[in-house]
Amino acid sequence: MPGTPYPKEQMHRIAYTKLSQQQIADKLGPVAASGPKSASPLSDVFAGKSIRIVTDKGPALAYTFSRTNRLSLAEDGGAAVDAGYGALTLSSVAFFSHMIPGTQRGYAAVIDRKTNLATVFELWFSGYEDNREVQREIYYGYVDQPGQDAPKARHVTTNRVEGKAFYWKQDTGAETLEFYPSAAYSNFVELSRLGGELGFCAPSDYIKINDDRYIYTRTECEFSGTFTAYVMDLNRIEQVGVRLGFNADDQLEYYVFRGNGEWLGQLAQFEKFGDENGSPVPVAPAGQTAAKGARRVYRPFKTMAKMTKAEVDAACAKKTTAFAPRTTGPAAGMGGNLGPSTDWLAGKTFTLRYDHAPAMEYRVDDAETLNWRKEGDSSWTKARYQGWESMPGVIMFGHLLEGTPNHDGHAIVADFHQGLVTCFNGYLNTPYFANEAGVKTLFGVIEMDGLIPPKYNRHFFTDEMVGRAVSQNYAPNLTSMHLYTTPHSLSWIIFTDTDAGGLEWSGPASYVKIRDGLFFMYWLEEACNGTLGTILVNLHTMRDVGVGYNCGPQGLGMSAVGAHERLAGRFDVRRFYQVKTSGGAA
Amino acid sequence: MTKDTTSTRRSFLKGGALLAAPLAAVGVPAAVMADDGLKARLAKLEDEAAIRELHQSWLRRINTGAGDAAASLFANPERAAFDPSVRSIAPDHAGQPDAIEAAADGKRAVGRFHCAIEIEHAIAQDCTLAQMAHAQGGGFVRRTERRVLNVEYAKASGAWAIAKVEFASV
Repeated sequence: MPGTPYPKEQMHRIAYTKLSQQQIADKLGPVAASGPKSASPLSDVFAGKSIRIVTDKGPALAYTFSRTNRLSLAEDGGAAVDAGYGALTLSSVAFFSHMIPGTQRGYAAVIDRKTNLATVFELWFSGYEDNREVQREIYYGYVDQPGQDAPKARHVTTNRVEGKAFYWKQDTGAETLEFYPSAAYSNFVELSRLGGELGFCAPSDYIKINDDRYIYTRTECEFSGTFTAYVMDLNRIEQVGVRLGFNADDQLEYYVFRGNGEWLGQLAQFEKFGDENGSPVPVAPAGQTAAKGARRVYRPFKTMAKMTKAEVDAACAKKTTAFAPRTTGPAAGMGGNLGPSTDWLAGKTFTLRYDHAPAMEYRVDDAETLNWRKEGDSSWTKARYQGWESMPGVIMFGHLLEGTPNHDGHAIVADFHQGLVTCFNGYLNTPYFANEAGVKTLFGVIEMDGLIPPKYNRHFFTDEMVGRAVSQNYAPNLTSMHLYTTPHSLSWIIFTDTDAGGLEWSGPASYVKIRDGLFFMYWLEEACNGTLGTILVNLHTMRDVGVGYNCGPQGLGMSAVGAHERLAGRFDVRRFYQVKTSGGAA
Repeated sequence: MTKDTTSTRRSFLKGGALLAAPLAAVGVPAAVMADDGLKARLAKLEDEAAIRELHQSWLRRINTGAGDAAASLFANPERAAFDPSVRSIAPDHAGQPDAIEAAADGKRAVGRFHCAIEIEHAIAQDCTLAQMAHAQGGGFVRRTERRVLNVEYAKASGAWAIAKVEFASV
């Protein structure tokens, strides 16, 4: 039956059930006894053997593996319990996982049989206010060899995976693009599960086994809470790992998997040479002791203001601000590296004729004040604006449309040499949360004395930026990087004080080509701060300028942003988003 | 023939006694004067040492983020409030040497210390980027400036305390 792979709701829109501890326990019981599923034959590497894993700051785990899927475990010399398990190998590395019957806990362990070094992940449910979010604690250690000294080396957290990306296809058939642009987070695109429309981000661990093999984890916090861990061989591009969690239908997914893939490229890293620190984001705030399993997690949905239409209307009435006077220093925010504004529009009168929206007429008084009206209206509305000439003849400007029912704001790029215009029309009162911005992309032409606009030519959506990563330094110590992961989404990575990639999040996005090397793009901070961000990226000057549009309890605001940019590299991913002749994406 | 000679404390005292003779001849008790001078010098050195130790204690508390605990070092704890944006203070070895001058009454002193101060300002959390920077333990702008630390000290009940701390431009 024909169909599309797209879900009814994207991940950030799914209202995941708040599972009770009992509901979780009920579903864990059977799999704790049976062990994880596996589409590939399980390894017999441990069958008939007993091993004792000693960890530095964690438990000593004494295992006896009776078969390929049955083990008994004694923790710290306690009573042994029987459980089901699954093991897979990747060359000299063995990976296995099991849950502990009668508990909501389990383990995933990685053992390098050449060195006998081990990394153990203790996993548990019901450790966070959202019970379904899998928690993890990492222990480093070794497999005890009677009569031999304990090895001194350990697997270590690392940033050596930072900047890489892979296409993975599991033995389950699941296909993903996985980007590791941060030392603390990762970005994944679910090609087969979700159609590859958007990318999403999750806190991650990166652990070095050796120069070829690394351990990666992610926990889908703010979403289903599912935990994924795998060992990957960067040369062979093979993986073995585990997935544990409750999906959108609250079905327990617990399986070990094998996969292989393709290398997609490498981005630049911005840490100092020699810095291989894999923990650039401190686990706990300064002066606080980290709790078991603690990590820094960005929880934008939890913390965002969620407003009704009435609250939005009241907030806008209370305070609406466009381009507040610029400040310097720590208060400069994302406008710290904003270039000089232009008075190019001052004194000009023109019409922006959009193909599928009312034409907008403008009379511009000066460098900061314009008058607008929709074609056919008799009265003008005065508005504060700011404009920047990013390339000769290309003016980006923005203004709010006070008085419109949805408190619209326009971010506009007008190419007065080509007679073309593109507007990102931001608006509020959107379906999920009224303060969350929506956007319409308007293409059109400029009508002005002395200018003959094209009849058919228009700016157009492009995937030229897809796969690129561009860093943006907005102000001292305020640096991020955009990673254009899909034609319809981007992620932003926040750099730490040591210029390592830190927290990361993503949102729907779109890219419009203005000229060669000049791209106008937006992103929506959905289920986040609700902001519509727009920037005009000039790859010649490596500067961007843009307009932010945000509504919250404090009111509605439009603000200018500007950054110095650096190209960080490009992944070869556009081919994954081409529409297939059989229909559907990917 | 040469003979190595070694100066001894005994010979030094002898010489001192000879040099002291003319003073004794004009009727001033030389031993008393020498004693007073040494005492004054000793007192001055002790004051300077105490002030240096006080200064080091204060620096340790500022540099370890224990600025609140620095109040006990002040004559008036209410004057201990210190610019919270200053994160650390280090000696500026490219600047002039530290100078401590005690007043004649031995109850007041001033210190002048060339230093490099690290100043930290929190970035306003008015955008997603700044909020995320703070969420990962960052979100601060730091810079180092060369300054002169002018400190006034007061002695009460035989102990030195800080009376006032001010920064001045170099």
